[in-house]
Amino acid sequence: MTTWSDKVERKRVPICEDLLIGSLDELNQVRLVGSRCSACGETSLGRRNVCPNCGRETVSEIPLSNRGVLWTYTVVRHRPPGNYKGPDPFAPFGMGLVELPEGLRVLTPIHCDINRLKIGLELQLRPVVRKDADSREVVSFTFEPIACKEIQI
Amino acid sequence: MSDVVIIGIGIHPFGRFEKSYEEIGADAARAALRDAGVEWSQIQSAYLSRMYLPATSGVRILRRLGSTDIPITDIEAACASGGAALRQAVLAIRSGEIDLALVLGAEKMPRGFMDPSMIYSQWQIEMGMSLNPAYWSMRARRHMHDYGTTEIQIAKVAYKNHRNSVHNPNAMYKKEFSLEEILSSSLVCDPIRLLEVCAPNDGAAAVVVASEQRARRLGAKAINIAACCHTIAQYSADFRCPADSMSASANNPGPTECTAKQAYERAGLGPKEIDLFEVQDTDAFCEIEIYESLGLCAVGDGGRLVDEGRTEIGGDIPVNVSGGLISKGEPVGASHLGQVVEIVSQLRGNSGPRQVVDAKVGIAHVLGAGGNCAITILKR
Repeated sequence: MTTWSDKVERKRVPICEDLLIGSLDELNQVRLVGSRCSACGETSLGRRNVCPNCGRETVSEIPLSNRGVLWTYTVVRHRPPGNYKGPDPFAPFGMGLVELPEGLRVLTPIHCDINRLKIGLELQLRPVVRKDADSREVVSFTFEPIACKEIQI
Repeated sequence: MSDVVIIGIGIHPFGRFEKSYEEIGADAARAALRDAGVEWSQIQSAYLSRMYLPATSGVRILRRLGSTDIPITDIEAACASGGAALRQAVLAIRSGEIDLALVLGAEKMPRGFMDPSMIYSQWQIEMGMSLNPAYWSMRARRHMHDYGTTEIQIAKVAYKNHRNSVHNPNAMYKKEFSLEEILSSSLVCDPIRLLEVCAPNDGAAAVVVASEQRARRLGAKAINIAACCHTIAQYSADFRCPADSMSASANNPGPTECTAKQAYERAGLGPKEIDLFEVQDTDAFCEIEIYESLGLCAVGDGGRLVDEGRTEIGGDIPVNVSGGLISKGEPVGASHLGQVVEIVSQLRGNSGPRQVVDAKVGIAHVLGAGGNCAITILKR
């Protein structure tokens, strides 16, 4: 039986409303959400009311593919300023634009050995859970090389 | 349409000072008025370019020059704030409403990376995607991949600009670094290194702007503002917006291309007719890309321009002879007006050891958050 306190503790929230789709309790079902404009054909990240290209309201929500290709990248070598919630102590991490089949490039952290970063690397979405100080679980995302898990063993 | 000219320039050195922004700004404003031979009481409208200062900073700074009832307006367009402010003065003078204005840029910024909450969403900050150099670096990495641009070519830009700054008393660093020192300085965001990025700092620069007729009546030495244009990046056309996603198919020209096209048309000049360039080297790679966007070379050839030494002070297209933002630092609101001050000084032939021989036309270019880009073309 689930107690009230269990429920509170287990309640997960997305890092940002209008960014993810699918039940947060089943991470492997979570996808990034996009908005596709039927007028101009552009797709952008997030659930939106208007198209950032043509300004029309002809946008509809679509789940974005969880696989893509690295279009460009960098390595963040210093702790980012402000309310950064990454590992403490800070560890350098990859960040890049991942091109998805829907015709957009999504800005994302990349979870892998920084020496593996390479334009053209095939990546997959990896929803991740972060536990805040108030034990609230926050779901965000990263991308990782498709064979990442096997290589880490 | 009446021509608009610059009749006075003033600058407070860029660096880090134990002085308030009000003092720094007022110093530059006084210097510009003195240079123009104009009293503060004669100015009919004033504009302050700034990004990181509080509301009504223009009033707070310029009140120090004496009581006035003229409109003093703060203008913000990220790194292009100075161009946006200068443009407002040009438009006001062209309208015939006024014929004498002061445009001041001032900033006082904390050390280190810029406050991310000014331009990024909270979730991007929490995920660590809020470091400005990361965006410039991703652009550099892609350019290297597409065109074979090298880390050495990028380092050569920083080498050139640091070396130029030795002759600029208003620069923050004024120090030459060897190519080896630059290439072994720590990585900020791969492939961009510490000695290849500009630092936010303090500084101010000011110009007195007049209609040509008013300048003639004042007997002032005038430099013509041949163009002063400001645009923002179209959809998915720039990395500095910043966006959370970019289009893989949209093919809009970048903000520098669009602004340059407007500015060249207004001035009736092309890139080949310009004698010196002050451009937004927020990082050394950015300067290479701007060569291409301003039409100094074909897309992809920016690195080659560096190798051939053409953008050095003795080259045929000198870029950032002041030392650029890499050595001066970037007090955001003051940076474009600092470039304008540099070019006016060059066109007057007053730039001492960094003088470009017989400079007649110069361009000042800035580019920043929101895809804001401003270009001013000055002509003697």
